[in-house]
Amino acid sequence: MSGKPTERNYTEVEFMICLAARLIEDQRSVFVGYGMPQIAAILAQKLYAPRICQVYEYGAIGPEVATPFRRNMMADARNSYRSFAWTTMNTMIATASSGYIDYGILGAAQIDPFGNINSTMIGKDYTRPKLRFTGSGGGNEVASLCWKTILIMEHEKRRFLEKIDFVTSPGYLDGSEQARERAGLPRGTGPHRVITSIALFDFDAATRRMRLIATREDITPEFVVENMEFKPLVAPSIDRLKPPTPDELRILREEIDPERVVIGRV
Amino acid sequence: MSGAGEVRLSDVDAAREWMRDNKSRAPVDKVMSEHEAVARFVHDGDYVSYDLSSMVRGPMSLEREIVRQRRKNLWLAAKFTLLDSTLLVAGGCVSKIDVGFAGLGRTLFSAIETGKVQVIDWSNGTLALRHLAGAMGVPFLPTRALLGTDTFKHSGAKVVEDPFTGKKVCLVPAIHPNVAIIHVNQCDMFGNARIFGPSISPVETAMASKSVIVSTEEIITTEEIKKNPGRTTLPYYLVSAVVVAPHGAHPGTVPGLYTYDSGHLDEFFSARDDATMKKYLDKYVYGVKSHDEYLALIGKEKLQSLRENEMIREGYSA
Repeated sequence: MSGKPTERNYTEVEFMICLAARLIEDQRSVFVGYGMPQIAAILAQKLYAPRICQVYEYGAIGPEVATPFRRNMMADARNSYRSFAWTTMNTMIATASSGYIDYGILGAAQIDPFGNINSTMIGKDYTRPKLRFTGSGGGNEVASLCWKTILIMEHEKRRFLEKIDFVTSPGYLDGSEQARERAGLPRGTGPHRVITSIALFDFDAATRRMRLIATREDITPEFVVENMEFKPLVAPSIDRLKPPTPDELRILREEIDPERVVIGRV
Repeated sequence: MSGAGEVRLSDVDAAREWMRDNKSRAPVDKVMSEHEAVARFVHDGDYVSYDLSSMVRGPMSLEREIVRQRRKNLWLAAKFTLLDSTLLVAGGCVSKIDVGFAGLGRTLFSAIETGKVQVIDWSNGTLALRHLAGAMGVPFLPTRALLGTDTFKHSGAKVVEDPFTGKKVCLVPAIHPNVAIIHVNQCDMFGNARIFGPSISPVETAMASKSVIVSTEEIITTEEIKKNPGRTTLPYYLVSAVVVAPHGAHPGTVPGLYTYDSGHLDEFFSARDDATMKKYLDKYVYGVKSHDEYLALIGKEKLQSLRENEMIREGYSA
């Protein structure tokens, strides 16, 4: 095995979504962000965690999101379908702030070793960004206030940086002990896992640095680390991540995203 | 510790006095055309807030009218937004955006990259909270978000020591928008308005704002409002103008009523340069005089099919 990616019958997005779906615990609440996290939460609910409570910043609590997924679907009737309650943004943020939200799932453009993420801009000059993105959205609240945050990143070297251009949403900040609490963030919160298109990371309890714990079946740990600008810690034993199962792929492609808006095509 | 972002501070007492003197508790007929409402209540340099997002129950007919009347130097609260900010920026109406979520599309992002539009980064939640502070008549509210990030550094928030516990806490200042534009499902002529479905912060936004233009899918009687008061989202005295605007959220959706116009959204977002965007605006905004003419341009058949394609109705009625 070369450790380089081999022919696959699934897209990298499908891989990340399946991995995220498998990490979501049933009967927990999950604050769901736009795009990939939505698909992951829907897949989880259909396959692994039928009784999760999805919550959305626009106020929906516990929807059974109607499929198929449509492009730009956020806050519409399909997204909000069969909820327990329809509330408002201040209610949802308060819900996370007062400790009711177990998981948050977010994507980002850049990440640093301590799980701080950038979804705001690329460049050194804030007033003249080389590339501007959407900004925090509800991401800052999710990363600040949910108990455990799951981050989803495409695995490209330029996205894993010692120092990111802009810290949109907090990870373990400078990585020092209790950095989050000292900044005023809620105790016991922070990034939990980082899912990439080829690997899975957790955060080392002693140093709060990202630590490689598993790789995709066809990928070696060396290949993972080579494709990151900062060097993560590597766990003593590295698990193998199963590719998407036929069941996962069938549900993704036939029920959830038949137009392949998010999952893409092989 | 203070964020560097510019804040339009307002004095809570001045805001109270404005509400006393300008948002009358007299139940009077406030129905008017979108032209009149925008002419009277949206001015150059205003701070403007909207609810929800253009893709979902957004006040699109009012936004098109703002572009048509060529308002300038608006400061937007983009607390949850997709094409609102893009359309208003494309129309040359905007100089600053308080960003929760900075909309979508090349037009908007390149306006930020070239410095044509100045952004002040916050988050969706802290912008909603700033409206709540405005609605409560308090100068600021505390939050445990923003802390430790560059988002904080570029916002106009402050970090202080909680006087009760000594822990750090973030404070965000109240917003009192000059004008809020809100699209609703039903409204009576006084401005008692019903929203069906989840939302961002319609009540906070309407309470905090010095003027409020409500556009409504339909007008209902006050008698109907009184038969089911639990369904009233906004009481009338929060509202300055009522504009009848069926399909007012087009090309977005009003949940339970009509779905997105995907073809139209594609046309809008495919405008990646100024020339194509100008063509879009010429056709759909400047090329018509009113929302009625806009609807005629979209066509009855299309509008009918959007209604028929909204399959989910549960929960979206009184």
